[in-house]
Amino acid sequence: MNIPLNIDWQQILLHLFNFIILAGGLYLLLYKPVKDYMEKRVAYYQDLEDKAQEKLKSAEDIEAEYRIKITEVETEISEKRLKAARKAEEAAQQTIDEAKKQAEKIVADAKKHAVDERQKMISSAEKEIAELASSAAQKLMQESMDSTYEQFFESAKRR
Amino acid sequence: MSIKGRRSYLMGCGFILAALLVGIVLTNTSEGKSETVKEAIKDAVLHETNKVSFWGIKDVNPAFISAIMVTIVLLFVAALIRIFVIPRFTYVPGKFQLLLEQLVGMFDGLAKSNSPHRNGFLGAYIFGAGIYIFVGTIFELFGIQWITTEDMSIALPAPLSDINAAIALGCLSYLIILSGGIAGNGLRGVGNTLKDFSLPVSMSFRLFGSLLSGLLVTELVYYYISLSFVLPVIVGIMFTLLHALIQAYVLTMLTALFYGEVSEPHEKKNGGN
Repeated sequence: MNIPLNIDWQQILLHLFNFIILAGGLYLLLYKPVKDYMEKRVAYYQDLEDKAQEKLKSAEDIEAEYRIKITEVETEISEKRLKAARKAEEAAQQTIDEAKKQAEKIVADAKKHAVDERQKMISSAEKEIAELASSAAQKLMQESMDSTYEQFFESAKRR
Repeated sequence: MSIKGRRSYLMGCGFILAALLVGIVLTNTSEGKSETVKEAIKDAVLHETNKVSFWGIKDVNPAFISAIMVTIVLLFVAALIRIFVIPRFTYVPGKFQLLLEQLVGMFDGLAKSNSPHRNGFLGAYIFGAGIYIFVGTIFELFGIQWITTEDMSIALPAPLSDINAAIALGCLSYLIILSGGIAGNGLRGVGNTLKDFSLPVSMSFRLFGSLLSGLLVTELVYYYISLSFVLPVIVGIMFTLLHALIQAYVLTMLTALFYGEVSEPHEKKNGGN
């Protein structure tokens, strides 16, 4: 059969055969080894990146853990501070109460003492006054008797 | 270099060029031409007269010898690279390693970007096809001489300037696309591929036409002595280097694109969406 452009089926098959050998050879000798190497390198750098990411993640986890711990410690500190403040306040209040009680006792004692003193003074004063009054009365009586005697003697003399 | 030295250097060059010109004119006798330009161009397209014996088994077009030579050279270079270069690859690549990686990465990337679902085999195929088209087209520039069955000397052309080679590569690309369709979608993939039945013809004749145009222009330029100075440099770059790059890219890109299209898994349509 006369095909236009002198197309020859046998030569087409020969070209196909030749090209398949070439493509297969190039695949085995060049394409596959180079691609494998490129993939190996990609895997190597991917592995490095994965490890770095893993380390970064673990560092972030540790950081988060420490942050939580810091928050807990801060909360604890503030609670303790609050408790201590409350205790100090209670202690101060107790001291104040005790001081107040003591002061009240002192004042009460002082008042009682003053009352006793006053009572004592009044009784001593009363006693003194009574003594004074009796001595004064004695003295007055003495004087009046003396004058009566003198008047009697005087009058007796003149007579 | 002193002025005197430079002058004598220029004179020497001028003398050599003049001697070459005289030699060219004296040896270029029109009687020496065995075929007219019409015959030469017709034979470049149809390969009716200039056949080459393939180890005495069969008379083939010269492009088949080119194809074998390109295959041998490429496989030899690939084997040398495999033995001496690839085992010395380092994680921080040198210049040559970078070039190889760029080459492989470019075809692999082309396969992956155009065919996201199945691209392992496609990448290997377009790598082979791209290298073959590029190096095969560049091969024309070496002008390796061969003896035809009629005892005439011819310069070996680009393998793909032969319609048989172009058909072989175009049809093989179509078969690869078909295999992608079958692997990806089964019978539906076959249907999708057969829908583009004009693809093998368009792929084959695009390659053939492009590379043949380069061959014809080169034939024309070298046929006339007056066009053989300076012009081949421009023609060689325009019709050989650019074709080598463009055709390698076009065929590989089209193959990857159609392969990706037919191997894409078919999504079942949801009722309401």
